[in-house]
Amino acid sequence: MDSIDKRLVREVRAGDEQAFAELVELYKDKVYQVAYRMVGNVHEAQDVAQEAFLRAYTNIDTYDIQRKFSTWLFRIATNVAIDRLRKRKPDFHLEDPVQGADGLTIESQLAADEEPVDDQVIQMETRDWIQQEIQALPPKYRMAVLLKYMEDLSLKEISDILDLPVSTVKTRIHRGREALRKRMRHV
Amino acid sequence: MSCEQHYRTLIDKYIDGEATAEERQELNEHLETCDACFEYMLEVRKVVAFVQSASHVQAPEGFTENVMKNLPKRKQTNRFKV
Repeated sequence: MDSIDKRLVREVRAGDEQAFAELVELYKDKVYQVAYRMVGNVHEAQDVAQEAFLRAYTNIDTYDIQRKFSTWLFRIATNVAIDRLRKRKPDFHLEDPVQGADGLTIESQLAADEEPVDDQVIQMETRDWIQQEIQALPPKYRMAVLLKYMEDLSLKEISDILDLPVSTVKTRIHRGREALRKRMRHV
Repeated sequence: MSCEQHYRTLIDKYIDGEATAEERQELNEHLETCDACFEYMLEVRKVVAFVQSASHVQAPEGFTENVMKNLPKRKQTNRFKV
């Protein structure tokens, strides 16, 4: 996988746009998922994911080919997503506490489920609910939890992407997981 | 560190796949007798399973084409710089 990435990067550097299209195809779902989970809506997620790829393309010469391409790409994507959250709320800081998370009730979700049409609908609603719960996490915990459990990355990779020590990554994952546990425990 | 905190830390390590054989043994013995910790472990596992189950988002149709349409002309000037 990694060697395909590197071959494609070399071709992009040599001026082959089609090679870049192949890289986008390979990583679009992963990058889009990070964007969607961070910004929480499809419209902005598309913008963020697209911006991440455009930045990667513009800066392809700065990528260190000795390192993993996906780590570099995720790093760009997480930065674009965080920039977007900052712009939405000018005084936004990653360290901000959670707010407004209590408005969401499991009861209201269950009430909507009273007459399930079919399994697929239930599954969709469960996913929406999980997405809402993830959205309610402070961004720094949300990012760590999503890279770990949704993108299935190692602590070392997450540490490289977020430019944080492994111990900090671990703490953020645990705190995010604990916040989710408290909210999801009665389901 | 309270007793409860001690076992929660062990459970975290166990869930992360970092517990040693001795720690797993100690935890298992504790879980036999402690409902609260057993419950806690089930809840943590449930959270992980929930989050993983929601992890199949796909980029919208035409995503790659959109990116390619917006591709800027890349500057070639810094190609030979490190």
